[in-house]
Amino acid sequence: GGGGGGGGGASYQRFPKVRIRELRDEYAKFELRETDASVANALRRVMLAEVPTVAIDLVEVEVNSSVLNDEFIAHRLGLVPLTSDAAMAMRFSRDCDACDGDGQCEYCSVEFHLAVRCDADQTLDVTSADLRSTDPKVCPVDVARALDADPTSYDSTAADQRGIIIVKLRRGQELRLRAIARKGIGKDHAKWSPAATVTFMYEPSIHINEEMMETLTLEEKSSWVESSPTKVFDIDPNTQQVVVIDPEAYTYDDEVIKKAEAMGKPGLVEIYPKEDSFIFTVESTGAIKASQLVINAIEVLRQKLDAVRLQEDTDLGELSAHLHGGG
Amino acid sequence: MGFGQEEDSQRCLAAPVKSAVDKFQLLPAFLKVRGLVKQHIDSFNYFINHEMKKIMKANDLLVAHHDPNIYLRYTNIYVESPSVEVDRVSEELKPHFCRLSDRTYAAPVKVDIEYSKANLPNKVEYKRGVLIGRMPIMLRSSHCVLNGKDEEQLARLGECPLDPGGYFIIKGTEKVILIQEQLSKNRIIIDTDSKGRVTASVTSSTHETKSKTVLFMDKEKIYLQLNQFVKPIPILVIMKAMGMESDQEVVQMIGRDPRYGSLLLPSLQECASERIYTQQQALEYLDGKVVYSSSARTETRKESRAKSILLDVFLANVLVKEGKFRPKCIYTAVMLRRMMDAILNTDTFDDKDYVGNKRLELSGQLVSLLFEDLFKTMNSQALERLRRSYEQQNRSSPLEIFPYLTADIITQGLERAISTGNWDLKRFKMHRKGVSQVLSRLSFIGALGHMTRISPQFEKTRKVSGPRALQPSQWGMLCPCDTPEGEACGLTKNLALMTHVTTDEEEGPLVILCYSLGVQDLSSLSAEEIHTPGSYLVIFNGLILGKHEAPKRFANAMRSLRRSGKIGEFVSIYVNDKQHCVYVASDGGRVCRPLVIADKGVSRIKEHHMKELRDGLRTFDDFLRDGLVEYLDVNEENNALIALYEHELDNDESGAEKDDVKRSSITHIEIEPFTILGVVAGLIPYPHHNQSPRNTYQCAMGKQAMGNIAYNQLCRADTLLYLLVYPQRPLLTTKTIELVGYDKLGAGQNATVAVMSYSGYDIEDAIVMNKASLDRGFGRCIAMKRYTVVTESYGPDILDKIVRPRRNVDGSLPQNMQILDEDGLAAPGEIIRNNYVYVNKQTPVDRNISQRGDRKYTDAPVIYKGPEGETIVVDRVILCSDTNDKLTIKFITRHTRRPEVGDKFSSRHGQKGVCGTIVRQEDFPFSERGICPDLIMNPHGFPSRMTIGKMIELLGGKAGVSCGRFHYGSAFGEPSGHADKVEDISKTLVKHGFSYSGKDFLYSGITGYPLQAYIFMGPIYYQKLKHMVLDKIHARAKGPRVTLTRQPTEGRIRHGGLRLGEMERDCLIAYGASMLLFERLMLSSDPYQVQVCRKCGLLGYYNYKLKKSFCSMCKNGENIATMKLPYACKLLFQELQSMNVVPRLTLTEA
Repeated sequence: GGGGGGGGGASYQRFPKVRIRELRDEYAKFELRETDASVANALRRVMLAEVPTVAIDLVEVEVNSSVLNDEFIAHRLGLVPLTSDAAMAMRFSRDCDACDGDGQCEYCSVEFHLAVRCDADQTLDVTSADLRSTDPKVCPVDVARALDADPTSYDSTAADQRGIIIVKLRRGQELRLRAIARKGIGKDHAKWSPAATVTFMYEPSIHINEEMMETLTLEEKSSWVESSPTKVFDIDPNTQQVVVIDPEAYTYDDEVIKKAEAMGKPGLVEIYPKEDSFIFTVESTGAIKASQLVINAIEVLRQKLDAVRLQEDTDLGELSAHLHGGG
Repeated sequence: MGFGQEEDSQRCLAAPVKSAVDKFQLLPAFLKVRGLVKQHIDSFNYFINHEMKKIMKANDLLVAHHDPNIYLRYTNIYVESPSVEVDRVSEELKPHFCRLSDRTYAAPVKVDIEYSKANLPNKVEYKRGVLIGRMPIMLRSSHCVLNGKDEEQLARLGECPLDPGGYFIIKGTEKVILIQEQLSKNRIIIDTDSKGRVTASVTSSTHETKSKTVLFMDKEKIYLQLNQFVKPIPILVIMKAMGMESDQEVVQMIGRDPRYGSLLLPSLQECASERIYTQQQALEYLDGKVVYSSSARTETRKESRAKSILLDVFLANVLVKEGKFRPKCIYTAVMLRRMMDAILNTDTFDDKDYVGNKRLELSGQLVSLLFEDLFKTMNSQALERLRRSYEQQNRSSPLEIFPYLTADIITQGLERAISTGNWDLKRFKMHRKGVSQVLSRLSFIGALGHMTRISPQFEKTRKVSGPRALQPSQWGMLCPCDTPEGEACGLTKNLALMTHVTTDEEEGPLVILCYSLGVQDLSSLSAEEIHTPGSYLVIFNGLILGKHEAPKRFANAMRSLRRSGKIGEFVSIYVNDKQHCVYVASDGGRVCRPLVIADKGVSRIKEHHMKELRDGLRTFDDFLRDGLVEYLDVNEENNALIALYEHELDNDESGAEKDDVKRSSITHIEIEPFTILGVVAGLIPYPHHNQSPRNTYQCAMGKQAMGNIAYNQLCRADTLLYLLVYPQRPLLTTKTIELVGYDKLGAGQNATVAVMSYSGYDIEDAIVMNKASLDRGFGRCIAMKRYTVVTESYGPDILDKIVRPRRNVDGSLPQNMQILDEDGLAAPGEIIRNNYVYVNKQTPVDRNISQRGDRKYTDAPVIYKGPEGETIVVDRVILCSDTNDKLTIKFITRHTRRPEVGDKFSSRHGQKGVCGTIVRQEDFPFSERGICPDLIMNPHGFPSRMTIGKMIELLGGKAGVSCGRFHYGSAFGEPSGHADKVEDISKTLVKHGFSYSGKDFLYSGITGYPLQAYIFMGPIYYQKLKHMVLDKIHARAKGPRVTLTRQPTEGRIRHGGLRLGEMERDCLIAYGASMLLFERLMLSSDPYQVQVCRKCGLLGYYNYKLKKSFCSMCKNGENIATMKLPYACKLLFQELQSMNVVPRLTLTEA
C-alpha cells in the first residue's frame, strides 16, 4: 500500500473505488478502496470542518425574562442544526456583494423569529419548533423531519414533536428575539459542522492458521474465541472450526494474538490492516443528508485542489513543478 | 415497643448472622436530624433558648449606687422572630432581603422587668417586652424564619433548599463563625515544659474567674506556679496553707506506694528546711510572695491575700464550700500523683494533640460570651448614667433605671464583632481576631466546607510538627485529608461527615445520679481511703466527685442509662484503667460520632430495623432511643473495640482469632467507613487509591471549582460569582456526593479524556483542548461582578444626584454614555465597555449647610474599568436604601467566557493543569467508533503523582456511559458495595465492546494513520478553577509612575511595570550585558538629569530664568556638571542630607 517512494516523474494517480454499504438520511457507511490514508483522512477532515451549513449566528433579543441569560440562549440557538441543503449555493456573508457586509440579505442569510410567552401555570418548553423561519428551505432539522414525515398532522406542541429544547418558561416569562442564520464552516465554529461523527477504519485482513488451530481442543478454541472483546470469531457448530464471522468488528486490540501467545501458539492468527481500504462511517447532524455530506465534501476538496492548481503558474515554484509532473 | 420487640430481637440474636445488614441508610437519616452544620445550629439554639436565660439570671438585679431602693430586676429574656423597625412599625425580615439590601438579619431581644421608683419605694412596677438589643440570627436556627420550612416555602422566600444555614447575615454579607479549637478546660494535663520538667497544669475556667495552675518538678522538688505569686512556691507549703499540716496525710493522700514517698521526699525536706509546719506559717510565707498589683485595693486586708488567692484563683474550678480546702487538697494530691506516675512511667504523659483533650468552641458559645459581656456593659452603663444624672439633677425628679437601658450597646456590639471577627472582651481577657469570616460562595462545596472548618488554637508560625501531624484519635471525627497546604497545614482542620459537637448539659442531675449509683463522697473519707486498690476515682467534668468500689459496674450502669435515654445521649463515660479513674463528661465542645452497638460482635441493628427505616417508620432518634446506636466521644472510644464491618467476622463463628481480635470482645461497629472523611474529601472518587497528598490538594481545589452555587444564584448579588454554563453531575459519584447534594449543584463537567502526549503544548501538566468541545459549551463560565455606587449625603438636602445624560448638539449621546438610560443609570442588557459611564452622578460643589438657593453641582460620573475587547453585559441593577437611608445602587455585570489558553482546570485528584493549546476537532485523534476526546492529558502526570483513583474514575466513567448507570467510588467502599470494583468495571467494558483495560485504538486526526499505542481514554470529571488568564493578563510598555520615586508603578491594578528583579539583574551582570542593564534599570525606569557641583560634590539646580546652573552650596555656578542618574538615587541623597549625612559625588571625565 501507500504511495511508495516514487521519484520526480512517477505518477501518484490512483482510481479510488467507493462501495456503499448502508445509506440512510443521516447515516452512511461505505468502503473506500484503492487509495491511501492521506486521501481518506482529507475526506474525513473536510466533512468535519469544511462542508458549509447554515446556523444561527446573530441574535437580537427583544424580550428575555427567562431564567437563562441572552448569551446562553444565543449559544443554544447557534447549536440548533438547520436544514442546509441550500448552503452550498449560498454566499458567505463576508463575500456577499448584495449587502454591504452586514450579512443580512437574502443571498447570505436567513432570518428567524421567536416569540413565546408562557401564560399557563405549567412550565412551557421553548423549542426549536418555535423558531419561525423566513425561508422555508432553512428550518430546524427536527421540524423539517416531522414535516417530511407527515406535513398534514404536524403540530409543534405535540409531545413527540417537541423539538430541541431551548429554554423553559414559567408563568409570565417571555422570550422574543430575532435571529440571523448564516452560512459557515465547522472550522470557524462547531455549530456549522454538518457531521456528528465521521470516522474510518482500516479494513482488517484476518488469516487463521488452520493447521495450528486444529491442534487446539474445543475448550481452547472457545476460550480463544471468547478472548476477543468484540465478536469477531465464532466456532462453527457443525464442523467445530473457528471461523471469522465479522472481521470489521475487530478493533485492533491484539487480544486474540496475546491470547494465542499465552496459549503457547504464537502465529495462530495473523491480522493486519489493509492499508488501502477504509470503511467510513458518517453520521450527519441532519443539516444535510449523509450522502450529500460526502458529495459536498468531495466537491469542497476538489475546489481546494482547483485553487492549488490555479495558482500553479504564479508562485508555487517547486510544488507546482511537482504537481505538473504528477498531474 | 413492649414484648414483641424483645422476643424479636432475641430470635435475631439466636439466629446465625447470614449477611451483613446494609447500614448505609442510617447516614441520610443521621444527616436529616444532625445535618452537616447542625453543630453550629444546635449550639446557637442552645444559646438562644438556654444560655441567654442563664446569663440573664446571673446578672438579673441592678441596684442604683446611691440608693439601694432603686432597683431593676430582669424576670425573663426572650428573642422574637427577626424583624426590622421601619417608621416605628416592625416589619418581618427575610434573609434574602437582608443579603440584597445590606441589612443585618437580626431579631429583637426583649426582657420582662420589674422595677421600683425612687419616690415610691414600696411600689413595684412591671414591664413586659422591653427591647434591649437586636441579636443576629443564625440561618435555619430555631428563631430563623427558615426553620422548618419545606422546599417550596424556601423557594418562595428566595432561599436555596440545599443551603445548609449555620451562618449570619451582617450588613448584607454572610458571616461564618468558625469553630475554634481549644485545649479542654478544667482538666489536668501532664506534660513536659520547654526545660524538660514534668508539669501538671490545669486551666480553670468558671463564670467568675479564669486561671492557670501549674505544678512542676524542678531538681526533684515540686513547686506551684501561679501568676499571683512572684516565684514558684514549694507544693508542701501550699498543702500546709490549705490546712494539711501533717506530712503523713499528704503522703497518704497521694498514695501509699513507697515510690511516691521517695519522690515526694525532697519536697518535704525543703518545706521543713523553710521551717514551715503550720497553716499559719505557710500563709505568712505565702503573703510574702504575693504579687501586689498597683491597684489600691491591695493594702486593705493584707494578711488574707494569700488565703483568698488559694480560695479563688488556685484551681478555681474546684469549688470551696464554707472555706473548707479539702477538695482542693485532694485535687492537688491527684495532680501530684499523676505527675509522679508520669515520672515513673513515661507512657502516662498526656498528649496535648490528642483530640480527647480538646474542645471545640462553636458559634453559640462565642456569641454567648459576646452577649454576656455586652449585657453586663449595658447594665453597668445604665447604672453609671443613672448616677451621673442623679448627681446633676436635683433629687425631686423620679429616678428609674429603666430609661437608661439602651439597646444600641448590644445591637452594635454584636454587629461589630461578627462583621469584623474581632472578639475583644476585656472582661474575659479574650482578644481574638478572625473569629468570623465571610462565607466563601465560590462553590457550593466551598461554602459547605467553610462551615465545617476548625480554626486552630496556636498561631500559625510555630515550627512544631506535633500539632500538625495526623492524630490517630482524629479517626472518624476530623477529616484526615481536608487541610490547607502551607503555613496552616495540619492546624486548620475540618469535621468529618458524621461528627457531632456537643453542647453543655445540665450538671446537677448527673452528679446526683452518680452519687446514687454508689459514688462515695470524698469528704467522708480519710486520706488513706482515697486510693484503696480496686476503687476508682469518679471525675465529672474535671471535678473529683468521689470514688467507686466497682468502677466497671458503675460505668455499665451509666451507659445503660444513656442507651435507654434516661440521661443525655452525649454524656460520655470513660474508664481509665491506667489512672484508676472513671471520667464522666457532659460538657460542651466534645466531638463525638454515632456507632452501632454490638453485643459480642453481633450488631444490634437487624435487617428489620433497616426496613422500618426505609419505610419511614423509624428515624435516627428511634435507633438512639432503642439502644441500637450511640454516640461515643474520643475518650470513650478508648473503652470500645470498634469493628469496621460486621461481615468480616462472620466466617469465624467460633470466635477464633483473626487479627488478634476476638469477635466476642467487639463492642461497636462503624456505620460506614467512608464517614471518616469530611464533606470536601467526600467528593473524590476512590480516594483510598490515591497518594494521600493528592487528596489534600483536591480538597483545596474543590473549593475553587466553579459550578452552581445555589438554586438562588441568579438572584444573589455577591461581589464576585463564577458560574458554569453547563454544570454536570459526575458520572462517577460517591455516596457523600449524594448526601450533601453535590449531584444537584455540581461544579464540573464530564470530559472525555485521552491520556496521551500531543503537540508538545502539554508539558508540565498542561492540557490540550478540543475546539469543537469548547464551541459546544465545555468549560464555558459566567463571571458576575458587583459594582456598588452609594449616593453620599453631606447634610440635610445636600446630596449627590443622578441626572440624565447630557446629549450632544445633534441629539446623540456621547460615546461613553451610550449605555445610560434616561434615569442616568446603565440599563440592564447593555454591553458595558472600558471607560463607559454607568452612573451619571453629580456631586454638590459647595457642601456648606448654610448655603441657600440653588446649589452648583459638578459631574462625578462613575466610570467602568474592565478588560478591553470583551463583551460584558449589565445583568441587573438593584436600587435599595441601606441602614443609613442612603441610596445604594448595585450593578451586577455578567461576562460569559469560553476557556482560553492559560485557564486552569483540574480533575478531582489534585491534578491541576492549564490549558496549553486549543486544537481543532479534525486534528484530534479519533476512534473507530467516532469517539473524539474533549481534552488530552499528558501521561507524565501519572507516574510521580500515583493517582490511581483517577485511572479508576476513567474506567468507571467509561463503563458508566456504556451501560447507562452511574458508578460509585466511595472511599473504602468496595467491601460494602459503595464502590464498583475494577474487575466488575472491566467486565462491563468488555460487554460493551471496549478493552477491559480502558484503552482504545485511535487514529491520528492529522495523518489518518493509527497511533502506535493504545490510548487510555474515557470520561473524567473536570473542574474549571477560578484562576483565569483574563483576570491576570498584564503587560505594559509605558504607563503610570509613582510620584515619590518616579519609578513605574507596581501591580496589575495600577497598570504597573514588570520588574527586572535581583536575580534577573544577576544574570545580566554575569552575562556582561551592561548596556541592557543600564537601559532596564535607569532609562526605562526613572532617569533624571541633575546638576552636580564638581567642587563640593553636591547637587545643584538649573535656573531656567537665567538659563544657568547653580550650586547652592558654593553659591556659584562655575563647576557644575550635568549628568543623569536614577531619580531614586537623587532622592536618596536628599534624604540622607536631611539626616545630616552628606553624600558627595566625585566626578571624573568620561
